[in-house]
Amino acid sequence: MADVTLVAEPGRTTGSRPSRRLRSDGRIPAVVYGNGVEPVAVSVSARDLRSVLSTGAGLNAVLALEVGRDTHMAMAREIQRHPVRGTVTHVDFQVVDPDQPIVAEIPVVLVGDPVELHHQDGMLDQQVFSLTVKAKPADLPPQLEADVSGIVIGTAVRVGEVILPPGVVSEVDADVIVAIGQAPRMTRAEEAGEGEATSEEAEGSAGSASAGSAGDGGES
Amino acid sequence: MLMPKKVKHRKQQRGRMTGSAKGGTTVNFGDFGIQALEPGWLTARQIEAARIAMTRHVRRGGKVWIRVFPDRPVTQKPAETRMGSGKGNPEHWVAVVKPGRVLFELAGVDQDLGRAAMERAIQKLPFRARFVVRPGTHGTPEVEV
Repeated sequence: MADVTLVAEPGRTTGSRPSRRLRSDGRIPAVVYGNGVEPVAVSVSARDLRSVLSTGAGLNAVLALEVGRDTHMAMAREIQRHPVRGTVTHVDFQVVDPDQPIVAEIPVVLVGDPVELHHQDGMLDQQVFSLTVKAKPADLPPQLEADVSGIVIGTAVRVGEVILPPGVVSEVDADVIVAIGQAPRMTRAEEAGEGEATSEEAEGSAGSASAGSAGDGGES
Repeated sequence: MLMPKKVKHRKQQRGRMTGSAKGGTTVNFGDFGIQALEPGWLTARQIEAARIAMTRHVRRGGKVWIRVFPDRPVTQKPAETRMGSGKGNPEHWVAVVKPGRVLFELAGVDQDLGRAAMERAIQKLPFRARFVVRPGTHGTPEVEV
């Protein structure tokens, strides 16, 4: 069973006004569902939620969720945040079966110092920040590590090179780039032989390209 | 400057800016970002000025993402014109920004340099904005409750 316990109070009134009152009282509205459990609207203490999600297991911590007399093994799946304050406004708890593999998003952390890239004055561009993996709840790691110490300009670390713990399978194509070594922005303009007068245009085109890439990344 | 290549209608009504941003409120591409704290219209010139302020301060390296696009035309009547005779001519383009929206992102620089560059860019904006860091990195908590 999970080693962290969170008490959820069932029987809250749903709706925006009761939810707002709950938040002002230091509680967070939530819902519990999954694994054959009938969906139930609950509320949890904001302080307790922060402490259980700030453990070494990260956001994918498996919790012992006490809902009334029942105790479920659950994970916080969907965490809604306030757009400006960043505080949690609602949480979905999914009841999980310890023997069944589940799909989860695990953060990817870059380890190692790309010394050669620094010598080349290059920039390390991380393109994947979390990886979708499939594993049993107990096997889910808090984070995945990608070694970038060997990266130089033009080379990349791909999903296939990320070390996965035993029992964890990646759901992402192994060829997807996690981090890539890129040439510095100003060097490209210098190579093009542009002087001070035209550097403004070079900057402008670089900015437009970046904006385009943001759009490609799913940004509206 | 940023502007649409082609639009369906040349002139638009002004609309309202109530509430907070529905999407684009988290740092998704880089390490740091500028988040709007107030609603407003951000012109293409202001976007460009902020971007230049940022890239000039960073000097070498770094990568900038612009997360807003000025797709709304703003019209103006010529000076010393009598009222009437229809709506004015499209003069510039703005992006409608609501509180919480991440406007720019930056990667490839350390936090001190990134903060300094983005503070300069914030000075070019017509509303209050703040420097934000991707949650779970640079010592920031994953969850704020």
